[in-house]
Amino acid sequence: MTPVAARSRWPLAVLAVIGIGMILAPVAFGMFSKAPDGASMMSSFSPFMTRNRLDGFQADMRDIANAVRQGQEAIRDTGRAAAGGRIVAHVAPQFHAFARQWRAVSSDMGGMLVKIKGNLPNYQAMAALPSFSLFPWFFVIPGVILLILAAVGLARAGAWRALRWGAVVLGVALVLAPVAIGLFSRAPKGAQMMSTFKTIETRHHLRRIQSYFGEMAAGQGLVQLQLLPALRHTDLSAAQIQARYPALNTLDTNWVHILNDMTPMIGAMSNNIVNYQAISSLPSFRLFPWFFLLPGVIVILIALLGDTRRGRGAADRGRPSVLNPINQGVT
Amino acid sequence: MTNPFKPRLIAVIVAAAVPMIATAPALAAQELNGVFHIGAGSYIRMGTPGGGFFPNPYSKDSHKSYTLITSGVGGGIRSGVTQNAPSPPFDRHGNSRANSIITPTNFTGILFGAITTVAPSFTLSGDTITGHLRHLYAQWNKQTFLQGNTVYGTYNRHTRHYTLAWHTEVYNGPFDGYTGYWRLSGTFSPY
Repeated sequence: MTPVAARSRWPLAVLAVIGIGMILAPVAFGMFSKAPDGASMMSSFSPFMTRNRLDGFQADMRDIANAVRQGQEAIRDTGRAAAGGRIVAHVAPQFHAFARQWRAVSSDMGGMLVKIKGNLPNYQAMAALPSFSLFPWFFVIPGVILLILAAVGLARAGAWRALRWGAVVLGVALVLAPVAIGLFSRAPKGAQMMSTFKTIETRHHLRRIQSYFGEMAAGQGLVQLQLLPALRHTDLSAAQIQARYPALNTLDTNWVHILNDMTPMIGAMSNNIVNYQAISSLPSFRLFPWFFLLPGVIVILIALLGDTRRGRGAADRGRPSVLNPINQGVT
Repeated sequence: MTNPFKPRLIAVIVAAAVPMIATAPALAAQELNGVFHIGAGSYIRMGTPGGGFFPNPYSKDSHKSYTLITSGVGGGIRSGVTQNAPSPPFDRHGNSRANSIITPTNFTGILFGAITTVAPSFTLSGDTITGHLRHLYAQWNKQTFLQGNTVYGTYNRHTRHYTLAWHTEVYNGPFDGYTGYWRLSGTFSPY
């Protein structure tokens, strides 16, 4: 091959390099294992990432907060009467300790729920994308097609004239794909959600939430098994307890529902720490649209550039051209 | 020249070996087939990842980290058979309906039960029990947690009183990193 011939084949070589790059990129980033982890995470979170469910968690927190407040009021009120004071005295220290713990729980878990709720639109944007499991193939399939086009173009010089239109179509598809699936708007939202979850989806944070769960369970037990029975032994009737401190009975009534609600959420957080870590080790989601758009633009330019060089007519036939089999030496 | 001590040596070895061989079956591990009734002193404790134990306010023990358990309708743990979850395994509140091994017991407001999905087996060597109870699961709040393991304990052939103890760490789920510490004690009824 002459230097001129080699020069004329560079567009095909570049297409081949882009094709190989697109095939290898998901392998290099570990996308084949990480993308399904991301898909699994999105799927695990889906039952919890609805406005209703998140409102429900906040209502659960309010139920506990109200019970803590009214429990303290009840202890204070009954403590004013000598007899009542004696009856609730044994509960008071434990309840006050729980109330102190609750302040920390409420602040941390409440803050977490606000953050998660704030990211609901971001989650929904991510969930509207095709499954993460498909993403590696969005690179590999165009990459393989490009590689085939380049290989055929190199092997059969005359074929390039037809093949280049295939390259143009592929390039346009690569440019349009991120637009069509809304990647330019959704990927940054995904990046924002991943950034928020960075402090939530950690083993350390999970341990804190688990300990809060223990504290809440102990607190509920304190209300149901000690405080309410103690109040019933004062001169208050059940109706008066209900009228003055309704949140105590509400917590009692709603507790199983709160457990039904919260433990699966803690479970989902726990089960997805590894998945989160896998997906967060990928390049930022913000870059993903460009991973399609840039190769697409380059492919289009190369295909059209090849066409321009070929289109100069018979006068050019003697000049080095990517499509000239003589110059390419591949006939 | 023959060694005059050789016949005596052989005689000594034979004399020592015969009783050993004769008693070997008694010393070898023996299958324990029957029901391990779960009686007083049986409990589960949930060790937290940071140390300490999870308090169960509904425990009937004065120390709330001990959740006391007793035999269910199946009499306890039965060797050689599985004691699967009923269908459905939970009621609508998440209370376990598995009542064969243990009586469903209140843990933080919701009943938990225990099931086996593979028949456990137990062997006795001397007064030491070794049990293959790897497929024991606790069920609570519509979730199932692997709690089985190889278990060890003691057995008194005269009173048929046994103890078994083991611990198993929970992986994944809301109790990820917690460790279930089990201790069973009671009587053993052979089939």
